[in-house]
Amino acid sequence: MNTFLILLPLVLTLLYSLATVPILVWMERRVAAFIQDRVGPNRCNIGGIRLGGIIQSVADMMKLVFKEEFLPSHIKNRFYYLVAPCIAFISSFLTFMVIPYADNITLGSKIYYMQALPIDLGVLWFLAFAGLGVYGIILGGWASHSKFAILGAMRASAQVISYEVAMGLSLVSMLITYGTIHLNEMVTYQAQSFFIIPAWGVVIQPLATIIFIVTAFAETNRAPFDAAEGESEIVAGYLTEYGAMKFGLFFVAEYIAMAASGALIVTIFFGGYQLPYLNTSDLINNFETILWLIIIFAVVTTILFLRWMKKNSRFASSSNNETKIYTTVIIMFTTSAISLMAYYALDFSNSNEVGVMILQFMVFTIKLFILHFVFIWVRWTLPRFRYDQTQKLGWNILLPLSLANIFITAIVVVVGVNYGN
Amino acid sequence: MGIKVVERHGNSFKEKMYISAIFTGMKTTLKHFAANLSDANRIPTVCYPEEKPTDITVRYRGVHRLTHRKEDDSIACVACFMCATACPAKCIEIVAEERVDGVDEKIPKIFNIDLLECVFCGYCVEACPCDAIRMDSGIYSLIGDCRDDFIYNKAKLLSIKGISKEEYSLAK
Repeated sequence: MNTFLILLPLVLTLLYSLATVPILVWMERRVAAFIQDRVGPNRCNIGGIRLGGIIQSVADMMKLVFKEEFLPSHIKNRFYYLVAPCIAFISSFLTFMVIPYADNITLGSKIYYMQALPIDLGVLWFLAFAGLGVYGIILGGWASHSKFAILGAMRASAQVISYEVAMGLSLVSMLITYGTIHLNEMVTYQAQSFFIIPAWGVVIQPLATIIFIVTAFAETNRAPFDAAEGESEIVAGYLTEYGAMKFGLFFVAEYIAMAASGALIVTIFFGGYQLPYLNTSDLINNFETILWLIIIFAVVTTILFLRWMKKNSRFASSSNNETKIYTTVIIMFTTSAISLMAYYALDFSNSNEVGVMILQFMVFTIKLFILHFVFIWVRWTLPRFRYDQTQKLGWNILLPLSLANIFITAIVVVVGVNYGN
Repeated sequence: MGIKVVERHGNSFKEKMYISAIFTGMKTTLKHFAANLSDANRIPTVCYPEEKPTDITVRYRGVHRLTHRKEDDSIACVACFMCATACPAKCIEIVAEERVDGVDEKIPKIFNIDLLECVFCGYCVEACPCDAIRMDSGIYSLIGDCRDDFIYNKAKLLSIKGISKEEYSLAK
């Protein structure tokens, strides 16, 4: 149990970053398709099982892994060329390490941290490694020794100087509000209620939220700030000379960076793993009631989902009845999950802390995926910013706004501390 | 006079804020997403070949067919070479011979259309004075194992049925 709980956050980091990439790629394609009135991936299958198209992204990854590693002969700096995707990948992967997935859990006399790296530097670690990811792109574009690649790299560097400042400053105002740089303490702070609404970062600091989300989009090099890739203008920007898994690492890095930014936005602005109005001790004390509520919720969602699936199984293949297989599996899974939860709810055991931990993982995951949806949704809505527009936005609009926000926050906090009750 | 002053957008404060325009756009895309998610059947995509196209009308230019005469069900073609002359792809091969049953003067001995060469432009149908060649078969999918499978001869072309009500040649 001891080793397991220490290793758990590390395993979760791997799951949240690497295992979600196929799901994110699938989400990207499906959401894009639905937004554009298309169907999206629905052909790739293993023995007739298509999982709504998820198999397609697995197949894509397999293809990238097994492709020939090709090195263009004109590249002189092979070391930099090869190390650039690794930098992008590792730094976006390491960004994830500080995110708290659940509250600290006390079993017996020991406290376990649900962060892969329970260091006090939380936010600074994120800023350091998220910023480093862009250097992988710049290095890769330069080492590719190609005009399109160097243009992409220059755009990336022009972009990085325009949003990093506003990003850091919007975080500073959050640090002043929370009075800590430890991410778990920030989440604990957000468990309070502000009058009748939960005191999430987005409620206390709406301006900082908007600025941070905008800069986080720029940080992950996603639309509308994907000028560095700019496939309609400069072929594929920094990716032009990359193929096979070297391209795959950049590709995965983009999605992990998106996942990490999403996780940080959830942690700082949307209450992290907290359910509104319920802090960790409330959850532990009323765990039975909450379990019964979850059981009702699970039954209702399963029924709704099954009905939705039956209605929308338009493209069923004739060889085997996929819908029936899915229905059976889902019903079996829900039944076993409900019976397990009912067992815990009826037979009051001492493992409430573990149950609450699992619940908080779930809450965090759901919030994270809602934010991923927003990332994808924005990508398929907004056109690309020109890189001078990005700079203008960063320096002329976001920087003054975040500075003003810091001043106002600081004044409110100082007045509140000195003259409040 | 004659100068139209085009109003420039994007200079008012509200437009420079971006925010309202962004949310309008996101509302539009979300509407499409939600509608398609809740009812996949409204997506106009045809998942061929599981789903077949439903919009094949008589005006669709499918595989050619040779029509029959209403009187005696014989071939309507008089081997005038109009279609072969009009064909930009030169895919129609006709060898004419004398018609001995007294219905008409000429009849094609060989009438081959190489459908791998054909560009499905429909000029042959336009050129035909006897309404003998038509493209209203509604066949949009051609399958064969070798090149010879795509050369449709007279018998094959005569056997294809049309999807329009006018089964026979309308030529007088």
